[in-house]
Amino acid sequence: MTQPIDTSIYAAITEAIQAEAHRILAEGEVTAIVGYAAARRKGSAQPIIITDAADSVKLIFTPACVNNLAVYLTKAKKDIPKNGKIGIVVKGCDLKALSGLMGESQLKREELYLIGVPCAGVLASTVCPDQELTGDSIAPKCTECDAHLPTGCDFVPAETLVTPELERKYAVEIARLEALTPAERWVYWKEQFAKCIKCYACRQVCPFCFCEQCLCDRNKPQMVDTTPRPAGNTAWHIVRAMHLAGRCAGCAECERVCPMDIPLNLLNRKMAKELKELYNHEAGFEVLDKGPLNMFTEKDDQSFIK
Amino acid sequence: MSRIGVFICHCGENISRTVDVERVAAEVGKMPGVSFSTDYKYMCSDPGQNLLKNAIQEQKLTHIVVAACSPRMHEKTFRKAVEAAGLNPYLCEMANIREHCSWVHENKEEATVKATEIVGMMVERVKKNRVLPTITVPVTKRSLVIGGGIAGIQAALDIADCGHEVVLVEREPSIGGHMAQLSETFPTLDCSQCIMTPKMVDVANHPKIKLYTYSEIELVEGYIGNFQVTIKKKARSVDEDRCTGCGVCMTKCPQKKIPNKFDQNIGMRTAIYVPFPQAVPNTPVIDRDNCTWYKTGKCGVCQKVCGPGAVDFEQQDQLVVEPVGAIVVATGFDLYTIDEKPKGSPIKGYGEFGHGKIPDVIDGMTFERLASASGPTGGKILRPSDGKEPKQIVFIQCIGSRAREKGISYCSKVCCMYTAKHTMLYHHKVHDGQAYVFFMDARTPGKSYDEFWRRSIEEEEAVYIRGMVSRLYQKGDKIVVMGSDIAVGVQVEIEADMVVLATAIQPQKGAELLAQKLGISYDKYNFYSEAHAKLRPVECATAGIYLAGACQGPKDIPETVSQASAAAAKVMTLFSKDQLEREPIVARVKESGCVGCFACKKVCAYGAVEEKEIRDRQGNLIKTVAFVNPGVCAGCGTCQATCPSKSVELDGYTDEQVIAMIEAL
Amino acid sequence: MQPTKQNTFEPKIIAFVCTWCTYAGADLAGTSRMQYPSNVRVLKFPCTGRIDPVFILKAFQQGADGVLVSGCHPGDCHYIAGNFHARRRFAVFRKLLEFVGVDLNRLQFSWVSAAEGGKWVEVVTDLTEKVRSMGPMTEFKELAMEEQWSGAINTPELQEAYNSI
Repeated sequence: MTQPIDTSIYAAITEAIQAEAHRILAEGEVTAIVGYAAARRKGSAQPIIITDAADSVKLIFTPACVNNLAVYLTKAKKDIPKNGKIGIVVKGCDLKALSGLMGESQLKREELYLIGVPCAGVLASTVCPDQELTGDSIAPKCTECDAHLPTGCDFVPAETLVTPELERKYAVEIARLEALTPAERWVYWKEQFAKCIKCYACRQVCPFCFCEQCLCDRNKPQMVDTTPRPAGNTAWHIVRAMHLAGRCAGCAECERVCPMDIPLNLLNRKMAKELKELYNHEAGFEVLDKGPLNMFTEKDDQSFIK
Repeated sequence: MSRIGVFICHCGENISRTVDVERVAAEVGKMPGVSFSTDYKYMCSDPGQNLLKNAIQEQKLTHIVVAACSPRMHEKTFRKAVEAAGLNPYLCEMANIREHCSWVHENKEEATVKATEIVGMMVERVKKNRVLPTITVPVTKRSLVIGGGIAGIQAALDIADCGHEVVLVEREPSIGGHMAQLSETFPTLDCSQCIMTPKMVDVANHPKIKLYTYSEIELVEGYIGNFQVTIKKKARSVDEDRCTGCGVCMTKCPQKKIPNKFDQNIGMRTAIYVPFPQAVPNTPVIDRDNCTWYKTGKCGVCQKVCGPGAVDFEQQDQLVVEPVGAIVVATGFDLYTIDEKPKGSPIKGYGEFGHGKIPDVIDGMTFERLASASGPTGGKILRPSDGKEPKQIVFIQCIGSRAREKGISYCSKVCCMYTAKHTMLYHHKVHDGQAYVFFMDARTPGKSYDEFWRRSIEEEEAVYIRGMVSRLYQKGDKIVVMGSDIAVGVQVEIEADMVVLATAIQPQKGAELLAQKLGISYDKYNFYSEAHAKLRPVECATAGIYLAGACQGPKDIPETVSQASAAAAKVMTLFSKDQLEREPIVARVKESGCVGCFACKKVCAYGAVEEKEIRDRQGNLIKTVAFVNPGVCAGCGTCQATCPSKSVELDGYTDEQVIAMIEAL
Repeated sequence: MQPTKQNTFEPKIIAFVCTWCTYAGADLAGTSRMQYPSNVRVLKFPCTGRIDPVFILKAFQQGADGVLVSGCHPGDCHYIAGNFHARRRFAVFRKLLEFVGVDLNRLQFSWVSAAEGGKWVEVVTDLTEKVRSMGPMTEFKELAMEEQWSGAINTPELQEAYNSI
């Protein structure tokens, strides 16, 4: 059943972004803006960094604006001017990542100008970028989105949005896997991880994989098998999921960029579910002093400890 | 290339009975890197240690594994021996093949295999051990004492008498604390002022004590041996250097009806005041909230009459920084104000007892002021409402204390004794009066304490009724107290002229804020926590900070003084060395890998992780990284397990060492 | 080797323990001459707070059939709160392992104080017996045996791409 999703507001959002971008660049409030621009293929979009007010017309917002631009403020920031405030176009999920990065001292709120986009959803795949956004073509993360309307931004183009109720794709899949036996789950993940070619695209694109020296690249000692073989792949994905637990904002970029279609965000969602159940933690817009795994309460669950 | 020496101990027969030690030595001797392996009857004996030392020198050994008992038993012994032979002591590891092997397994084959594997693991580990130099930290031999009550005074005097400078900080205008408010003290009934004021004068005159009254702790930075404490000297409006303490200002001040906190608000004072005549220092303070000059800009009488010209209306709060090496916290207690239910606190009030509504229902400290010869009534027991002498007086114990449902479950410890004392003081002053005491249990452990309590009943005619009061109300000028005598099983009703409530002892208001500044822990009532309830009762878990008196929990005077002297002794132990030596098991940050997420800082219970800026030669900020202060780090390693890139490493327990052991399996 | 033990599976158990409580508790079991299976190998840490989840993963990869993590009871931590941090970390990590298909019966957590020699014996014996009855942990070992990248072409897109090469 193909459920259409109303994205008519995206045109108005595009206009509002362009106007605001022009204003803040012209007035010198920011030195650059990270946003989305049309790419060569019809309907496609790509990240862009503009520093000239005249370029604001290039900015767009469409269902093909899939990228989480947060990564351009941290580890991929070579094209970003070093001085002044930086404007950035963020969807709700991207804003959660920014909040997380602020909590981990990687970004400062006062150095950013946040353009928060009301987002009904983006495409799962940009193979056909000009397709309609529907219940089938929508990114799985958008089916579970609780952050359609970003808050606490410097500029929000619109305050209303129609978002249909969709089947929560990860929740369904997690429930399916949880119902299996450990041995069956092992078979499932073994098959998934076997596909991995250790290209580390998931690491490159993740806003939270900001370590300069990844633990998984170390060889003295070799904590994690670095080879692109099943054992090393499994270790990498377990360590990756553990290091993101309590931090992952759910932008699902890891899964989107994986050339081998490994359901990486499924692991992240599972960890998010556990953190919600155990410690009532959810990634949100609020900048937290301490993440859930950097703190404790005396009454934390210990039913698993003898 | 490492040349590892392995020494297998027989421990008499304790190990060799179930472990084939020769076989273990032979097997281990084949391991790569092991250039010497042997077994010996008693490794910890002198000949055993000599065997070790000689082998190090003759075989040019670089790393040592001693397979014997638990490292908790003899690690220090062997590391010392290794050091004596010229190796860094941290290049020696112990393999526990006694407690963890020979003593817990009977099968010789199994035990031998296990022992070989245990030794093998330690061989792999020791290869990764690094030379760790002992860490030394310089010690500033000055001490800060926070709180000028009997605890703080005692600690300050003890430390100063040893020749070390003391900075004593007191929040109120005078030192003396609660003890200065007391009338007479149990169990000897000596006058509190008589024993307290000489000590206060000693503090004032001591050349090694720097006294800051009317001052508060603003900020504490640093670590054991090296604290930097910022003290806020609140504006007194009186120049301490000029004031002679003549007191003319106070006699001339037109504002004379301000309730005096020192007299539990039943006595009055002026706007320029000292809390009590024997105050130390004897320099008045202007209470700016009640002073006419500050309220209207007129008056200024005190300034006009002051001969030395000490009154200074323009004085500002001042911040002073004092470097100290140790801190004694002696902030004492407050009494539970039962008529108020503090906001946000789980503690429920006791509105039903009429405190704050019925003027002749008072608390124990107010009774102390009434009974004190220097108090507002000159030592006469008189009712606050009409100044009449109460002929029937009821004391109610355990108000607040030991009442879980009201929010405080602990015993306040001193109330049984001071109530017994109150009945005596009352009987001495009102010969025809009758005292009644409602009590749950009489808790009188302590030297001469129970005898004292018995005396209040047997000689001083106090009537003790075991049971609690259910209701209390004003009837004419009487207070009707209804309760039950559970010993007899009857309801009791007493028409009293005055009621005294033994209210619970609590930490000072804001105790938790000071704890946060100091980085020490506190319990759910905000009493400060000691490092160990039995074995380290005066030390905080934070190194270099010590506790004295009721800030840690309810205490009477003898206990408080003992603890204060104990805290002073701890400070002096610290000051006995110029350099503080500590085990080099501390975390270190590899700055090249650190991206400054400060997860380590968030999980460090000791506040040992600081932020450090890395700049290039032009002074541009490159990045901010974590820095572990080796003086503060306790060596738990929680930071390393938390660090995603493992850019912080705990020396002695590095990932390399751990992984080497796991891989040896 | 005793003949009765032949062909029976002896599990490898690795225990990660803190030095102040559980290591001391294991020492007490020794001084009290309590008996327990010899399968366990103890790795000493200053605090459970130091124990990295990666160590557990590494232990399984290195052939451990069961892993025990043990430290001070809540409130007893020598380092104030290391065990509280560890408790959260491992509560989450075990859920992750469970989700990827590791049988949690092989991973035991416990609080054993310096006075609980008996509890140490009980915990180690129980885990050893449990793992013995489960048989060897083969999952990670089998993975390690698989040398080649085994990317099966299991989606139509991949198949199509493959065919077009």
